[in-house]
Amino acid sequence: MAKTILAVDDSGSLRQMVAFSLKAAGYEVVQAVDGQDGLNKAKEKTVDLVLTDQNMPIMDGLTLIKNLRALGSYQTVPILMLTTESSDEMKAKGKAAGANGWLVKPFDPKRLIEVVQKVIGS
Amino acid sequence: MEVKSLPIEELRKLLAAVSEHGKQHLVEVEADLLQTTFLLNEAIEKLGASFSAIHEAVAQQQHIIDQLAQSQTLPKASAEKLDVLKHTIGDEVNAVVTSLQFQDLTSQLISRTINRVIGLKGLLHELETHSNAMDPSHEHAQIAQFLEMMSHNLHEGSHALSGGLRRSVGQQDMATGDIDLF
Repeated sequence: MAKTILAVDDSGSLRQMVAFSLKAAGYEVVQAVDGQDGLNKAKEKTVDLVLTDQNMPIMDGLTLIKNLRALGSYQTVPILMLTTESSDEMKAKGKAAGANGWLVKPFDPKRLIEVVQKVIGS
Repeated sequence: MEVKSLPIEELRKLLAAVSEHGKQHLVEVEADLLQTTFLLNEAIEKLGASFSAIHEAVAQQQHIIDQLAQSQTLPKASAEKLDVLKHTIGDEVNAVVTSLQFQDLTSQLISRTINRVIGLKGLLHELETHSNAMDPSHEHAQIAQFLEMMSHNLHEGSHALSGGLRRSVGQQDMATGDIDLF
């Protein structure tokens, strides 16, 4: 059965590119438009990996991670940030919140798939 | 020319003019940025849809080519050439997926600029509002106090405006970003 990835980003075009890349590699993709939507969808179905943006309306990525880590079912699920933010300060905040990795936009689909495969397998 | 009293009326007119002209220009800037956002969104939607359709067609084409190759009806040289093309297409698809992310980066920059424009309009409005409170009959000290208050409010408003903005996008080109696994 294909592994499911939750892609959270307020940019429709970015979600489209992420979904396109991940689906081409055989993953199922659930999309969410902001942190709150991501949290709701994560509660509906436990996914294998969460890929989230940082700067989003309603709920940002770091808050989403903290909320997910507070849920029993998401304590060990890998969470990767995919964001324009690249400062060491933000990366440290992400790590402290419970992120497992930090990818700076724009992403290369091949490298994204390599990272995802490394984290959750094919 | 000797000025016996402070030219409050002239100062008020000047501040009103700065505010009015400034706001007019900012309204135009805001409208242009919103139109740019709209055009970019529409363009990326169409580009994305066309890209997906082309990719789907190429994938089906590749499937047929793979079947032909397996049936060994293709000359070896052609099969090798098709294999090279397959990898070239794959590399180009990756490059397109990376490049199409320009809309996410630019829309963040535009959104930040629009918020700054809206904030500047507010500051200019404040300039006009406070200047109206100045009265030529007031004592010099009172007028100085008004001017000091205006400067203070502008400073505070400008500071709050910068603090309330999203961080700027630091990317200078469409080269792919770093990856860190913790």
